[in-house]
Amino acid sequence: MGPWHPETELIAYLDGSLAGEARARVAAHLDGCAECRAALEDFGGLLARLAATAPEPPPLSWGRYGVDLRVRREARQGAGWWMFRPLQAALSVGLVAVLLVLAVQSTGPRPIANGGLAALEVASGVRLDVIRTYTLLERLDLLEDLDVIVQLDRLAPGSEG
Amino acid sequence: MEPTDEALCRRVGEGDEAAFDLLVARYQGRAYRLAWSLLRDADEARDLSQEAFLRLHRNAARFEGRARFSTWFYRILVNLCLDHRRRTRWWRRIMAPVDAAEESETPLVERQPAPLLDPADTVERERTTTRLWQAVDRLSAQQRTAVVLQTQEGLSTAEVAAVMNCAEATVRVHLHRALTTLRKTLRQE
Repeated sequence: MGPWHPETELIAYLDGSLAGEARARVAAHLDGCAECRAALEDFGGLLARLAATAPEPPPLSWGRYGVDLRVRREARQGAGWWMFRPLQAALSVGLVAVLLVLAVQSTGPRPIANGGLAALEVASGVRLDVIRTYTLLERLDLLEDLDVIVQLDRLAPGSEG
Repeated sequence: MEPTDEALCRRVGEGDEAAFDLLVARYQGRAYRLAWSLLRDADEARDLSQEAFLRLHRNAARFEGRARFSTWFYRILVNLCLDHRRRTRWWRRIMAPVDAAEESETPLVERQPAPLLDPADTVERERTTTRLWQAVDRLSAQQRTAVVLQTQEGLSTAEVAAVMNCAEATVRVHLHRALTTLRKTLRQE
């Protein structure tokens, strides 16, 4: 480990925040170290030079600046949450759209419109209402037969079903 | 008697728009200059300094008065500028590097205050000053912020630490590294 040389202590020494023993230690070191004395002098010179020569920004129209600021402030005050949260707003809209699509799809197969049935009847030459009735009648006949079968033992001999 | 910045800020928090306008008038020049020093772009400096005022307006009720108003406001502005630089870093890397002096509308040298020096040294001194500020522009964001706040805004190390929301020792580290770099740059010339 080499000899100690103050580094950030030089900054504190320059800005006057170094006090007591710490300051005395740095001062004693500077008395015997030309390199650190040169660094201290250069740092001080740089800070002073920067303070004296800070460039000025391009000029602004302060009237325009004030107007723009007022417009932005009024826009912010009148804006809803969605103006400041565009991503959340977009996600919310998207979610609602997805839910709507899912809701529509979940209602099951859509019934065939009457116009569709008529076309099917014409194409097949069959009366679909008769088919539906026939199916019902067929089932009723079967149920009646079942009823007869169940009550066979109660039916009088010689009766016809 | 003129109201203090802290009193005005409290009134802004209570909805006093006139107090806000007065604070803007007091700080607009400093805010724009500080933003420009950190960003070196007049349009961005204007936009971000206005954004800082808008945030001040929105959050004035939260200002408790424990720190000076200028410290609190500068912290808002510096954070905005540093965040902006961070967000646009990739874009600035893609674009060809441009010297700060070329980037601005008026060369840096022409915007220096008139030097009170021997005319024979003036040209050389102005050239050195330009190179010095170009070197400042190449410092890291933290080092540059510390340098600008101390030299341009005249803040003490403690105040710089409050604005940058770090310890004083950290500010001294930034300053020491910045000055070491600047010293090397000038010695190489």
